[in-house]
Amino acid sequence: MKFTFNPAPNLRQKQSTKRIMLELMLGLLAVFAFSVYFYYDEYGTDVALQCVLLMLISLAVALVTETLWALFTRQKLIPFLSGSFGWITAIILTMMCPVTITPYALGIATFFSIFIGKLLFGGFGQNIFNPAAFGRAVIFASFAGATTDVITAVTPTTLMATEYNWLVVDPNMISKLMTQVGGLDNLFVGFYPGAIGETSALMIMIVGVILALRKVIDWRIPVIYLCAVFVFASVIAITAGMSDWLWYPLFHLFSGGVMFGAVFMLTDPVTSPTSAQGKCIFALGAAILTVLIRVKGNYPEGVLYSILIMNMLTPMIEKATDGKQLVVRKKSAVIFAVIAALGAGCVSLAASVIEPAKEKVKEKVFVKLDDPYLSTLQANIDSTVDNGDGTTTYIVTAQGFAAVEGPNMPNYDHPTDPNVYEIIVNRSDNTVKSVRVTKMSDTEYIGDKVESPKFLSQFEGLSLASEFEIEVNDAVTGATYTTKSVVRAVLEVRNALGF
Amino acid sequence: MQFTKLKGGTKGKVNAMSLFKGPMHQHIPGHKDLTETKEVRVLKPQQWVYIPLYAGHSTDFEILVHEGEHVYAGTKIAVCNDRIVVPIYASVSGTVRGVQKLMHATLKTQDHLIIESDGKYEMRQAFAPLDYQRAGKEELVEFMMNAGIVGCGGAGFPAYMKYKNVKDIKKLIINAVECEPYITADYKMVQSNLDLMVTGVLAMKKMAQAQSCVIAIKKTHPELIKQVQEAVANIADVTVVSVPDVYPMGWERTLVRHLMQADYKRLPSEIGAIVNNATTAIAFGNALINGMPIIEKTVTVSGDGIKEPCNVRVPVGMQVKEITEACGGYTDEEVKLIAGGPMMGKTIVNDQFVVDRASDALTVLKIVPYKDVACLRCGQCSDHCPAGLQPVRIAQSLNAKDKAMMERLSVMDCIECGLCTYVCPSRLDVTENVRKAKRQMQLAKK
Repeated sequence: MKFTFNPAPNLRQKQSTKRIMLELMLGLLAVFAFSVYFYYDEYGTDVALQCVLLMLISLAVALVTETLWALFTRQKLIPFLSGSFGWITAIILTMMCPVTITPYALGIATFFSIFIGKLLFGGFGQNIFNPAAFGRAVIFASFAGATTDVITAVTPTTLMATEYNWLVVDPNMISKLMTQVGGLDNLFVGFYPGAIGETSALMIMIVGVILALRKVIDWRIPVIYLCAVFVFASVIAITAGMSDWLWYPLFHLFSGGVMFGAVFMLTDPVTSPTSAQGKCIFALGAAILTVLIRVKGNYPEGVLYSILIMNMLTPMIEKATDGKQLVVRKKSAVIFAVIAALGAGCVSLAASVIEPAKEKVKEKVFVKLDDPYLSTLQANIDSTVDNGDGTTTYIVTAQGFAAVEGPNMPNYDHPTDPNVYEIIVNRSDNTVKSVRVTKMSDTEYIGDKVESPKFLSQFEGLSLASEFEIEVNDAVTGATYTTKSVVRAVLEVRNALGF
Repeated sequence: MQFTKLKGGTKGKVNAMSLFKGPMHQHIPGHKDLTETKEVRVLKPQQWVYIPLYAGHSTDFEILVHEGEHVYAGTKIAVCNDRIVVPIYASVSGTVRGVQKLMHATLKTQDHLIIESDGKYEMRQAFAPLDYQRAGKEELVEFMMNAGIVGCGGAGFPAYMKYKNVKDIKKLIINAVECEPYITADYKMVQSNLDLMVTGVLAMKKMAQAQSCVIAIKKTHPELIKQVQEAVANIADVTVVSVPDVYPMGWERTLVRHLMQADYKRLPSEIGAIVNNATTAIAFGNALINGMPIIEKTVTVSGDGIKEPCNVRVPVGMQVKEITEACGGYTDEEVKLIAGGPMMGKTIVNDQFVVDRASDALTVLKIVPYKDVACLRCGQCSDHCPAGLQPVRIAQSLNAKDKAMMERLSVMDCIECGLCTYVCPSRLDVTENVRKAKRQMQLAKK
């Protein structure tokens, strides 16, 4: 009979770290599957397969890196791999990248996140930074242009950052933005291109709730982070003076990596504080940084760097909350309140200095009859035909403008073939019935914009007996010159009629 | 008195969802059904009884009998020389055969007085009974001390200490929670000694001059709750309260926190509470009515490593080997034999040790190997620590040999309940790390 010694206690609960990681992986894959379906549905099999390919490449690189490390450091391969959880990093990293990323960039980023982000720090449990976030930062820094053109689409985050400056107050622009992104409900459900796994707030939320209930992730971090992002975004919206502001915090929550970061990245236990109070402070700090970087930083998205910065601050938070938790609780509450107040102050300050996006009002350009340039253009009425219904058709040749010299017009000032117009005039009241371009020789894509019906309709009903002006269709220089060519032709008819 | 529904019930849930702290407890499957419904078996030692000369932390005893002297069950055999005086009594009748150092249930070797049983179990009243209704407060405390009543919750601390120099006690809490898995000895004791318990409880209430008294029982044991309720139905200010089935609900601090929504620094009397185990109350009742000290113990023998789990009633000093043999022996060639419950009890590497006054269980478990992985810093240990400590940080301070950090983390406040190890998903020996840190602190102080 043998009685084994074991330090108390002698019971263990069922949940193990391996099971936690397995369930986390299943959660991630559920979100990934949704995205793959979206790309299949929207862009076809090729793009969907590209997602899978990227994932496989990242997984393979992670596996190879860890295997080599195990061999190099002479550790037993299978126990090392099963306790290192590199595949989680690979999956998260892939899901943070857009589908347009080149596979080699993702591969290199995976290597960096596993090798430098984790193994060099001492392996699983010792790393300071979230390895996947580390890898994503590598891509940001070094592979910004390493994209393929499997799809070309602007993500809501980029759109919001580049065209709307992360702050829109004008109701017309808000509705335009909403049309462009397909509405808040579409943002929530996630039927839009973006980082592969980050788009569906709905899906991530469902998975997050399940994982929190199963104690795979701590509920505090996502709840506080999301609530804080909502509150701080609301502060911005109210400070900026939005009348109907609820959409704004929701846009912050549903777009970009906020939901994904909240559920899958900030909750990484290795790189976040261990105590409940520390986790609360950590999540709050991340929320402030996310909102600030978004509205005031140079990057379109703030989630990634907010995570990395808070990872760095984790040891400090840990130290601040050391002690008996029931005693330190008061101190933590004070720290939390102070940070929250500071955050609210910072974001409202940011909101008051940011210029809200404005509708770019295009200055209207008109061509008037006294335009000096008109007199430099040659024009000639080639034929005059009485149509027998009270109208006369004039075929007019007039010089235009082209960037490329035409063969028949060696004159450098107007180096182009002339344009030919068909102008019909009502003889009874000397008004223009219609203007049509029969031959356009001006620069392609610029000059030929005058052919648009919207532009030419300006001439309809125009009285030739009086002065008139014509709005330039597109404020592109070449188009202005072409507009003048048309006006010159009409002027030639006016002259012929004796006005 | 009628059964009061616990006020803290919902609040406990709210607390569990508290932002700035974890639940500080955890439900653990109890496996109490293995022994709860079975009859208590009465066992007698074949020949030898080894009475441990040990109480609380006292080991300095003056032995009152000499080798070859005949003793009865109830004969006083030793008194403690420390300031904490708890005499020790013989549990069987027979002949004293000397003193020997033996492995004790606390995993230390202690002096044991050897008695060769004559098989007759002749009893002698150890001391004169006392009518608690007539006795004064001081008299009762004195009586409790001389009767050798130790806390039967596991620590074996002399019970009278709790009643010395206390005032303004609002609540006497009788702890019948029995939060350790497998153990049902307290339930069995309560069920079969309701009258003694009521006497003990009332005497304790008088000693404490407490305004009210509650008897805390886990809500997962409605039968027991009903029985106790009936027993105290006509007694003023004594009620039964049901508490959640979580570990360590039976720890004084957790129980007081749950019932009074308040915390204390060192002793519960600071906030007007005294906590005593139900078995202690029964022992006290027995002393008051029958004039007998604790010479018998009801012990739960359970776990998947024993063939016939059951409760046994045995004299103090009976060897574990005899008990496990009576329970059908072990189920495996290699088992963990635990003196106490699986959470706080210590594994003893032989079965030669004996049942002491503070023993309430023997847990025998099959060996389940666990593979550990690196700590993922999930903080489950900190969330669940009933003392509010941060075991993961303590482990880090141990690695860094940072005594200042250990001090800041209040390492010495650990009660080694084992919950941190239980919840650890990486299967690390978290509690053992804290023990090591405690040891380093103790060494540093010396």
